[in-house]
Amino acid sequence: MKRRKVIAAAFAAAAMIVAAACGGDDAAEEVTEETEAATEETTAPAEDYSMVKAAVVYITTPGDLGWSYMHDLGIAYMEEQLGIEVTRLELIPEGAEATAVYDKLARDGYNLILGTSFGYMDPMLEVAAKYPDVCFQHASGYKTADNMGNYFGAMEEARYLSGIAAGAASASGKLGYVAAFPIPEVLRGINAFTLGARSVNPKATVQVAWTSTWYDPAKEKEAAESLLATGADVLGMHQDSSATGEAAKAAGAKWVGYNSDVRAADFPDTWLTGPVWNWGPHYVKLGKDVAAGICDNSPYYGTMADGMITLGTFGSSVSQETQDLIAEKAAAIIDGSLLPFTGPIKDNEGKEQIAAGASAALGDLLGQSYLVEGVIGSAKG
Amino acid sequence: MILLGRRVQVEQRMAVPKSAVVIVPVVSVVFALVVGGVFLALTGHPPIRTYLDLLDNGYTSFYGITDTLGLATPLICTGLAAAFAFRMNLYSIGQEGQMYLGMIGGTWVGIVLADSLPPLIAVPSVLVFGAIAGAAWIAVPAFLRARLGTSEIVSTLLLNYVALNLVNYFIFGSTGFFRDPTTSFPQGRAVAESARLSPMAFFTDKVTNAYPTLFVAILLAVFLFWFMRVSNYGYETAVYADSPNTARYAGMNSAWLQSSVLLVSGALAGVGGAMYVVGPAGKVDPGLLQVGLGYAGIVVAALARYNFLAVVLAAVLFAGLRTGGNALQVSNDPVPIAIAVVLQGAVLLFALGGELFRRNKVTLVRVQRATT
Repeated sequence: MKRRKVIAAAFAAAAMIVAAACGGDDAAEEVTEETEAATEETTAPAEDYSMVKAAVVYITTPGDLGWSYMHDLGIAYMEEQLGIEVTRLELIPEGAEATAVYDKLARDGYNLILGTSFGYMDPMLEVAAKYPDVCFQHASGYKTADNMGNYFGAMEEARYLSGIAAGAASASGKLGYVAAFPIPEVLRGINAFTLGARSVNPKATVQVAWTSTWYDPAKEKEAAESLLATGADVLGMHQDSSATGEAAKAAGAKWVGYNSDVRAADFPDTWLTGPVWNWGPHYVKLGKDVAAGICDNSPYYGTMADGMITLGTFGSSVSQETQDLIAEKAAAIIDGSLLPFTGPIKDNEGKEQIAAGASAALGDLLGQSYLVEGVIGSAKG
Repeated sequence: MILLGRRVQVEQRMAVPKSAVVIVPVVSVVFALVVGGVFLALTGHPPIRTYLDLLDNGYTSFYGITDTLGLATPLICTGLAAAFAFRMNLYSIGQEGQMYLGMIGGTWVGIVLADSLPPLIAVPSVLVFGAIAGAAWIAVPAFLRARLGTSEIVSTLLLNYVALNLVNYFIFGSTGFFRDPTTSFPQGRAVAESARLSPMAFFTDKVTNAYPTLFVAILLAVFLFWFMRVSNYGYETAVYADSPNTARYAGMNSAWLQSSVLLVSGALAGVGGAMYVVGPAGKVDPGLLQVGLGYAGIVVAALARYNFLAVVLAAVLFAGLRTGGNALQVSNDPVPIAIAVVLQGAVLLFALGGELFRRNKVTLVRVQRATT
């Protein structure tokens, strides 16, 4: 008897769900009407940007306190400045699922769609072709279309400065660098870090450990530990978590962060500094563009001069002398008198890559596929 | 003193009643929805509306179901791969790696041969080479299993990591054949246009994210279902699965059965990877590494109770939870992805847990206990 009752109840529940499903469309429509009314009421006093319907897609979650976290801060800044709400999608894998997600966003009437992982480039390009009235903006890639732009920044400028802090902090002259993948962006970062370190510590070397992942705290920590085991006393890194810092802290070594400096206080004695992203102003610009009917499809490469790239706070162990030196170099980078990639620069196989007196053009920087002298490791991973 | 009490008694059913085959899955899903609903309510999301959103975005809307079918296509293949091996009590969990190899093998043909071939030959060639590459990837575990009795579980699992690193190496670590030579950015080299299929479109302007390979996957499922029922091979594997000793006494070649089943399983997973090449990716794409369709294939096979036709349905169920779950983040009351994943987990867990009730009779019995 009892079992029959349970089953009957289950059927009734299932029937209710089916019945509710049939009436689903009306419910959804009501909800959209409600929110439309709400946005009209909260019109920003200065200018009305409520026509900007923006969405951003993250490969990880802002909880990484790294790459996605910094984008999310930028999005929050955009929301505040424009008085809009931005839809956030987290943990969307690259490939077919990303295509479906971008398609859905464009279908649902979003007119500014942001993607923040390299592998989103082709899915976005594919969907952009289907929705010419929607503006797509992709971070860290290189392909564009009439309605798809891209944006990125000269992180190498801040990496160079952080390298100075690292070079000055190292007693042994042996630095380590936990790196994700041997691609131009990462290679450029290692090179800038190394050039910075060797500008104050000419004999310094930087040993690279590849992890083949952007975000995997366990793997990152392992790589950091292997570097510490070879005698490195300062670590740099190009990863999305702060696992490198944990390993360095445990070994009493110093480290340079990346993406954000939000965790600097967790490492009172071992944190040196970190190159930091500041995406907010660019997101505000993209939103204002869309409000003005523009989709800027030119590649945007932010710099320290325009504020997209900054250097984070200094740890207590960085001497005033070093801080002053870095401030001086930062000013020179901002006014354009210091270009980190100025020759003569040889790669770590002895081949001259940039002639004396010349400096690398942006195109060459974006395609950089070698490691400079002083780096121990292969540009092929 | 004698105490009266009750306890749950689990008793294996001698024969599974027909009704249980239908009722158990339905009740399982309802229970999952109830548990998920409580969770949703606790986190401040109206359960009914969230479920309707999920249903709409994953299954019932035109683009919802086509997105789901697109994602389900390779998943059907990895599900078939797992079901094919598991039926024989061969627990290969190497579908993930075999799928990568299918992607690599298919891409190789797509680059080398396809330019000179018409699409009608090029596309099948990519799929066939994907199958061959997938089978090749399981060849060593299959040999070790059939000849030496080495556990296929460990050997196939370890090869997944090798395959993963192989893909990473081809794209990030080398400037070799599979890497796009036109840019220094790490991208796969695109296969010839003749080796690509267009996504399916309806009413001229409704372009979907599903590919005609869907029908290949369904045909494979139907063929396997039919073939394993009527053929001698199907009969032999069924006998072997029930009792290896009986099979041996009957003169069946166990090494042949074991290795051939594993090789076919690998080929099926390889086809799944190759479908990714002729479909959405068109190259060796490390994006596939993040999706986990190989491991998901194991869940799909278990949900389908290793029935090939049911694999198709289970794959669609699973893929819909994924596309619907992703889409839940896009709404006026966005549901965080973590909650969507909990919902997926609840549905799958309950669906699998329902197996207990299908195979066993669960009753409450009165017990008398004497105490002093």
